[in-house]
Parts: sequence; structure tokens; C-alpha cells
Amino acid sequence: MSAAPLVEMIGIEKHFGGIRAVDGVSIDLHRGEVVGLLGHNGAGKSCLMRILSGAMAPSGGEIRIMGEPVSFTEPNDAREAGIETIYQTLALADHLDAPANLFLGRELKTRFGNLDDRAMLKAAREVLARLNPNFKNLGDPVSSLSGGQRQVIAIARAIYFDTKVLIMDEPTAALGPSETAMVAGLIKELRAEGIGIFLVSHDMHDVFELCDRVVVMNKGRLVGSHAIDEVTKDDVLSLIVKGELPADWSARNLTQAAQHA
Amino acid sequence: MSDASKPASEFGLSGMIPAGVSLHRLSALLTLCLLIAGFALSSPAFFSINNGLTILLQTSVIGLLGIGMTLVIVTGGIDLSVGSVLALSGVVSAMAVKAGVPVVPAMGAGVAAGAACGAFNGLVITKLRIPPFVATLGMMLIARGLALQLTGAIPISGLGEAFGLLGNGALFRVVEMRPNGFPNVIFPGIPYPAILLLIVAVAVAYLLRRRQIGRHIFATGSNEEAARLSGVRVDRTKLYAYTMSGALAGLAGNVLMSRLITAQPSEGVMAELDAIAAAVIGGASLSGGVGTISGTMIGAFIIGILRNGLNMAGVSAFIQQIVIGFVVIGAVWIDQIRNRP
Repeated sequence: MSAAPLVEMIGIEKHFGGIRAVDGVSIDLHRGEVVGLLGHNGAGKSCLMRILSGAMAPSGGEIRIMGEPVSFTEPNDAREAGIETIYQTLALADHLDAPANLFLGRELKTRFGNLDDRAMLKAAREVLARLNPNFKNLGDPVSSLSGGQRQVIAIARAIYFDTKVLIMDEPTAALGPSETAMVAGLIKELRAEGIGIFLVSHDMHDVFELCDRVVVMNKGRLVGSHAIDEVTKDDVLSLIVKGELPADWSARNLTQAAQHA
Repeated sequence: MSDASKPASEFGLSGMIPAGVSLHRLSALLTLCLLIAGFALSSPAFFSINNGLTILLQTSVIGLLGIGMTLVIVTGGIDLSVGSVLALSGVVSAMAVKAGVPVVPAMGAGVAAGAACGAFNGLVITKLRIPPFVATLGMMLIARGLALQLTGAIPISGLGEAFGLLGNGALFRVVEMRPNGFPNVIFPGIPYPAILLLIVAVAVAYLLRRRQIGRHIFATGSNEEAARLSGVRVDRTKLYAYTMSGALAGLAGNVLMSRLITAQPSEGVMAELDAIAAAVIGGASLSGGVGTISGTMIGAFIIGILRNGLNMAGVSAFIQQIVIGFVVIGAVWIDQIRNRP
């Protein structure tokens, strides 16, 4: 693991007028690592992720992908660098069908530059079947699909292409239990493939089950970055709410080790 | 399994939206047939080849405007400037002819002027972030004012026979000379404007359905933010739609002025409403993401036939306005019903 991290964000700033939405945040992500990003609404975590996905330009700071400095001016730049995002809103065009959404902005074309709908349908059928075998109505506009199916399209779009980094913004917020389990399984699978994942979530249970590390933001600042076995849920809650660890905190795994000794 | 359940769901609530779109177009087509049948019964002259060709001619202008309008409406916008841009383009072409430019490049200049107005609209909307309604309302005044200022509000006439060819010529026109020296028109031919409309309609329909830009136009109108996050260059897509709308308005202006062989700076007032009505009657949704060229063509013919039929039935121009007004409200009302959850 001596290679450069997959993603390094160094001293990222984002100001809206006088408000510092992201205030000098540095964060990194390695291959095959799942990092949970937590914080209140408005703590700046979505803002930070939008900067990484190219949807928002930072006011300052530097982003490096595998050691190389990059600058994203639009979402396409980030996608070309292998950064895919599953937005909380899913970012689907409701009037288009599943294949059209899956390939939106990256349409497959025939030799003559026409849309190759047949190839897109075929590819969509394969990737969607992998995530949800019951997904059959591919020709319907996505507005008529269930929340779970829509989520599956958004996920498929993020993993179909050559993905190195995956940003998941509240991926399970709109899902039922079985679909949540599917997403959890998928995250483990992708981690095993060496993909780095930022998981933005409010669900402490998910975070502790899936993440290797938690990063907590509070009022635009980064207030804590801990390996998951160092902290308890209460510690993380304290970071989220107060912006600091409990006064008597000591690393959970070390404490346990000490007790065993 | 899903194939078996599909027809059933078409009629169910979940299938309402896709079924609703085709239903809308079907009802428009039915309206068109009813109109034709009704007018044919009320006036024997209505259902003749000559009148059919007249309708084709009259509809070609609304149709060209409607096609451009459809592109804009599908992106979720609106273009109120097409009537004025039509006038300005015709005036530019006529002035070029008067300045000694041959007809074809002169008309090209007119269409280019229309495209430039459309591009201006697109830039104002995307760069200055001004809502399409306001931006194109401004262009409506600017283009009309320019057309009036350039001509001093005086029509430009005496443009020569070649200028009238696009609007008055016809393909496959068969004329034989009678022994008494008078011409006898056996078949009046297919008017060039109708052929132009067909070509443009097929080309734009192809663009919308089979090309990437068409898909991006739908995506932009469906969910602009989603399209942007998916890597669609939303601003460029909108710019394209407004430029096309302007260029097609320019083309329509040239067809119209060519038919009159006179450039009228006051021509095309309220034409934008006909174009919007054609698109909406044809199933385009003013909230974006929905619309077809075939639907707009049906809508354009409904308006063209309504105008023509009312004329043939001797209904006054004032009453015609009232009728078309109700038709526009009715069409938008249907759009509202369709979008209600």
C-alpha cells in the first residue's frame, strides 16, 4: 500500500459569499477502501463530494488522482478520471428509458454516428440483470419505475464504466431491506475488486458494517478521521453533533487490547 | 413473463404515462380527421385538390416554425421570438436581393440572420441565466424593431420572379397549352414549401430520435440537473435548440416572403402562438422532455385546416381568432391534465 492514494483532496475550500461550506478539508482514499463520510445536513459533505465529482468547482485546494494533480471543470472530467457518483437524487431523466439513462452523456453510436439503441439495450439488460434479475421493463420511461429499480439504474450507471472511485450519496435512503442488503453486498464486491468508495450516509448501522474508516465533518471542517475499529457509534455521534470526541475518549481497539493484556 | 403482463399494464395506472403520450397524439389525429370531415361536409370546395394544396402552402410556414418550437419546448424552454425573427429574416433576404446578391445566397443570409437571432436567444438564456420566456420576449421586440427600422416600415417589393420561386413553384406541375392559347393546368404540382416542410420534418425527427444531440435535448428538458451531472453539456444543447428554432423561423420567413414576392416587416405577428399551439396540440409538454415532430405536424395541420376551413365557411377573421384562442387553451389544458399525477 505504498503506492499513491487513489484520491487525495488537499485543503479543499468552497465559499458561497461569506459562508465557508467546505473549510480547508483534506481527505484521502485508497484502493479497495470504503470511507464513510458523516455529518449533519449542511456540514459540507455533499459539497465536498460534488467537488470531487466535478459538479462544483472548488474555491481553493488541490485534487490528486493516483498522485497526479487534476482539475475538474465539469462532471465529464471526473468521469474520465474514473470517478463515478451515485447521487442521492439519482440524477435520472424521467422521460427516458433505462438504457438511455444508463448511457446518458456516453451514448454508444454506430459507425455513422447514429445512436446504437440496440447495443445500449443489450448492455443495459446485462448490467441490470446482474444487480436485479427481475428488471425486465427496460423500455419504460424511468418515471414509471419503482424507487428500487430507479436506484438500480443509478448504480448500474456508476459501475458499468471503468470505475476506480465510487461516490455513493445516501445510496440506501430510499430502499427497502432486501434492496439495502443488495447494495451492501455490492459495496463489498466492489471493494474486493479494488475500487475505492466514499459512502455518504446517515445510517450508523450501514457505516459500521461496511466502512473501513469514518471521516466526520462539522460546519465545513473535518473534525475526525478514524479507523472503524477505533471508535464506537457514540464517539462518532459526538463528532457529528459536537465536532469533537468525548473528553475521556481513547481508541476502542487499543483499550480492548489493554484490557486483554 | 413480463411480455405477457405488459399489455395489461398499458391500461393500468402504472402504464398511464407511456399510453397517455400516444393517446394524446391519437386524439389529435382524430380531431384532424373530424375537422376535415366537418369542413368537407359544410363546403364542397374544401375537399378539392386545389384547396388541399392551398392548405399545404399555408401550413408549411406554421409547420416550419412548429418544428423549431418543438425542439425548444422539449428542452423545457419556449421561443416567443419566432414571429418577429421570421419577419426580420425575410427583410434581410429581400434587402440582400435589392443589393444585387443572387437569390440563393440572399435567402441563405436571411436564414443565417434567423439563426443568429436564435443563437443570441440561446446565449442570453444560458450565459446570463435569463428565463427563456423573458429572453425570447426581448428578442421578439428586438427582431421586430430591427425589421421595421431597416425598412422604415415600408414593404420591400419588386424582388423579381426568382425570389418568388421558393414560395410559388411546384414540383411535377403539368400544364398543357390549349389551342386557344390559354394554359390548362392538368396537375398543379406539389408546392415547394410542402416539399421543404417534409424534408425538414424528416430531418429533425431523425435528429431527435437517432442522434446524440436529440437524446440530449430530451434529457435536458426531462431533468436539467440530472442531464448536467450525467455529462450532458446542457448549455450547448440549449444553444443548439434555440439556434435551430431561429434558423427555421428564418426559413419560414423566406418561404412566406417568397410567396408574397414582397418582404413585409410586419408579417408574422402572433405566429409564435400558432407554432406553440401546433407543438402543444401535437403532444409536446410545456414542462419539457416530451414532444414529437409527427405530433407537431398534426398540430400544425389542425391549425392550418381550422383557419382554411373557417375561411371557406365564410367565418370572419375575428371569430377565427376566438376559435383558435379556445383551441390553444384547450390544448394546454389537455397538457395539464396529462401532467397531473
